[in-house]
Amino acid sequence: MKVRSVREFLEEAKSESFDLDGFLEKVVRSCKKIQEEYSPFITIVEKPSKSKNRGKLPYLPISVKDNICTKGIQTTAGSKILEGYIPPFDATCVENVLREGGLIIGKTAMDEFGFGTFTTNCYYSIPKNPIDKRRVCGGSSGGAACLTLAADFPHIAIAQSTGGSIACPSSFTGTVGLTPTYGLVSRFGLIDYANSLDKIGCIGKEVYDVALLLSIIAGYDEKDSTSINKEKTDYTKFLEENVKGLKVAIPREYFEGVDQEISQRVWDGIKILERIGIEYEEVSLPLTRYALPSYYIIAMAEASTNLAKFCGLRYGLSLELKGNFNEYFSEVREVGFGEEAKRRVMLGTFVRMAGYRDAYYLKALKVRKLIINEFKKVFSKFDAIVAPTMPIVAPRFEDVEKLEPVEVYMMDVLTVPPELAGLPNISIPCGYVRNLPVGMHLIGDHFQEGKILKIAYNFEREWRK
Amino acid sequence: MNVKIGLEIHCRIETKSKMFCSCPSDVEKARPNEFTCPICLGFPGSKPKANIEAIKKALMIAKALNCKISEVVLFSRKSYFYCDLAKNYQISQFEMPLGRNGYVELSNKKIRIKEIHIEEDPAKLVHVGKSINEAEYVLIDYNRSGIPLVEIVTEPDFSSTKEVREFLSKLSSILEHLGVYDPMKEASMRVDANVSIEGGERIEIKNITGFANVEKALSYEIARQYSLIKTGVKVERETRHWDEKMKATVSLRKKEVEEDYGYIFDPDLVKIETTGLIKEIENRMPELPDERIKRFVRDYGILEEQAKVIILVDKKLADFFEECAKIYKDYRKLARWVVVDLLKCLNWNNIRIGQSKVEKEKFVKLLEMIDRKVITERLAKEIIKEFVATGKDPEKIVEEKGLQPVGKEDIENVVELVLKENQKAVEDYMNGNEVALNFLVGVALKKLKTRGDPKLIKSLLIEKIKSLNS
Repeated sequence: MKVRSVREFLEEAKSESFDLDGFLEKVVRSCKKIQEEYSPFITIVEKPSKSKNRGKLPYLPISVKDNICTKGIQTTAGSKILEGYIPPFDATCVENVLREGGLIIGKTAMDEFGFGTFTTNCYYSIPKNPIDKRRVCGGSSGGAACLTLAADFPHIAIAQSTGGSIACPSSFTGTVGLTPTYGLVSRFGLIDYANSLDKIGCIGKEVYDVALLLSIIAGYDEKDSTSINKEKTDYTKFLEENVKGLKVAIPREYFEGVDQEISQRVWDGIKILERIGIEYEEVSLPLTRYALPSYYIIAMAEASTNLAKFCGLRYGLSLELKGNFNEYFSEVREVGFGEEAKRRVMLGTFVRMAGYRDAYYLKALKVRKLIINEFKKVFSKFDAIVAPTMPIVAPRFEDVEKLEPVEVYMMDVLTVPPELAGLPNISIPCGYVRNLPVGMHLIGDHFQEGKILKIAYNFEREWRK
Repeated sequence: MNVKIGLEIHCRIETKSKMFCSCPSDVEKARPNEFTCPICLGFPGSKPKANIEAIKKALMIAKALNCKISEVVLFSRKSYFYCDLAKNYQISQFEMPLGRNGYVELSNKKIRIKEIHIEEDPAKLVHVGKSINEAEYVLIDYNRSGIPLVEIVTEPDFSSTKEVREFLSKLSSILEHLGVYDPMKEASMRVDANVSIEGGERIEIKNITGFANVEKALSYEIARQYSLIKTGVKVERETRHWDEKMKATVSLRKKEVEEDYGYIFDPDLVKIETTGLIKEIENRMPELPDERIKRFVRDYGILEEQAKVIILVDKKLADFFEECAKIYKDYRKLARWVVVDLLKCLNWNNIRIGQSKVEKEKFVKLLEMIDRKVITERLAKEIIKEFVATGKDPEKIVEEKGLQPVGKEDIENVVELVLKENQKAVEDYMNGNEVALNFLVGVALKKLKTRGDPKLIKSLLIEKIKSLNS
């Protein structure tokens, strides 16, 4: 059966004769089947609430990563410590989707609090890659990418990235993952991992889908102080624009240590870009190697304070009241947090301790500034940066198990630098290695989502030929 | 004996809403946990948003305390696990406090202000049943969670409790004059005090509420440390708590190292430039106590000491004085009555002028009654007690108590009666005991319900005794 594209579906859904109940029933049935097969969900919404307003996303099924609050729907951020937690409010991005008539069909699986690269640090379900069930989907928005690929109904996923959690699973599943500029989409309602790095974005089957959903979720929100006061934009308008004469930079450092075949596929992609009139030039970004340590220091420092609130007093996991407060909350956190969460709390607490703070936390903040400047220099001459999204293709579960934590952190080496700088980026499939998809990463200057979207869109059209 | 005291003062800033959410901050009459929301409860996914009005008010305080003001406002997370913290970190300021290097002028010295910063109040803990160390369980009221506070940190410049008292009352008056502070609200000012005596370590007394308690706690602590040192016991670093019921400081924990709060910048809050805000508040800066004291001396011709008392004790008392001065022109008399009798009666009733039923017209009427010789000063001193307690019209008090003025004849009758009834005292006086005369005046006054001029009574007594003799 040919799956209708989102674009086709939205045309249909506008019609008065559209059979909503029949459609919903099919979607829920399909979700359950997909769950059995690949388990992308933590929660499937049996009866999605239907908006009276048809808006711009009439009846379009939207999944939401489980660290984004949905009023009345369990939201766990993938952690046992929030099992059964029902938020009393919707995240702003969810509100926006509902206002435009979208249907929230479920909450997608993720690494606990986003702490992972493969969506294997899970208390709930671990999604399997629909291309090869023995392989991971990537993380931490693994459930979102898994569902996007597996869905036999029109669907776009709201995902979230801190250091590559949208790009990575998109790359591993051959879907399109867009991470917007930091501050473009309100974080209100997002359960924080690292607030200065967290971005809500989207994963779709094609570039049009993510451009469409971004148009809905982006925009100023007074409830998030870091949200940027910028006019609402329809990002689909950029897609058909001409890309001739645009210039992209190919950073040498981003090909070091990358699987040879992956590099080759990305270079094939660059040639396609050339064919549609985009010039390219190799550049060097020497600070790249400092991005990963800085990122992990900042991310863990922030994460360790964010996780402090989970102490079994007001929401989430609670245990029998025993001992004093210290004993009680220690027990709750011992039981409620997974291993990686505990590791990050400890590392994050360490780097902000008196005596280490200057050498780690404050230094990392300075390095972040330098890295932003380095990127800014490139963007004064180029419209975008092109690189591989991930240094590997989707690995098997058993291979992931063998990795040491630091080896896992190393997997983010390509996605982290732009994410640390808060730059918008999009991962699009550009070929296959051993039948597994390879993602090409387009990185734009701050608020240049339009530009990378139109490059991606034109590339996608050309590549599919 | 060299005493060194430094203070950390937490002060509630009066605003409509809390520091980082839109919950009302006027929580005094609310039911427990009524004024709360996902933000001040620290629910996952909620984000703080800085209250600009609170920042402006904090800036006014920094300015009034002569601080150097930071160019930007940045917030930090101060991390520690405690059940009164909704997020187990408190949003505060660390690297760049709002103000630094200020001072407050006391009568004999300058107290340096090290820094002033903004933070959110934690929730209120209700220790059920017993004291902080023994309570079986604790209830948490998050109404207070997120109420804006400023923390004012002084250098250890105080060398006596007297200076501390002077400082606190001046600070309180400054804050009241700025209109940013309401001393009537529960725990509106809380003080942590660091006390050390030469030869001993520094002791921190946490969370003392109310000026009187600060003084008591410090006096107690100084005496305690002094006696330890005198008996050769080492004073070790620790954190203590002022137990109001026991009237003693009680050890909370030994303190070997500085607490480590693992500060990071709060990444949910953006930096706010102060330049524009400072311009705005400069137009809003009201007359402050020092200027007001000068003006009182200049315009009303009252003593500086009186002006200080009136203004530093309670801004509302100073406002009351000025209101009265509009309708009563003997300013010195007015000042004397405000400073001595009115204040004494307010203190006696343990209320402030703002809480009392005292109205300016009635107060002035009382003074005018003295001027018109309807009552004596002495009687007025009695009447004011009831007046302050009830707010009743002084004329009415006079009427109800039968204190209408007495004529000379009435006094003569009473004097004669007193002489008859107190033969012994009369004899004593005649034998040269002057005190006996005063006793007779007292008895007569009592019979006259304090009406009648004591001088007149005295002279009448002498006259009558003389005539008895002859």
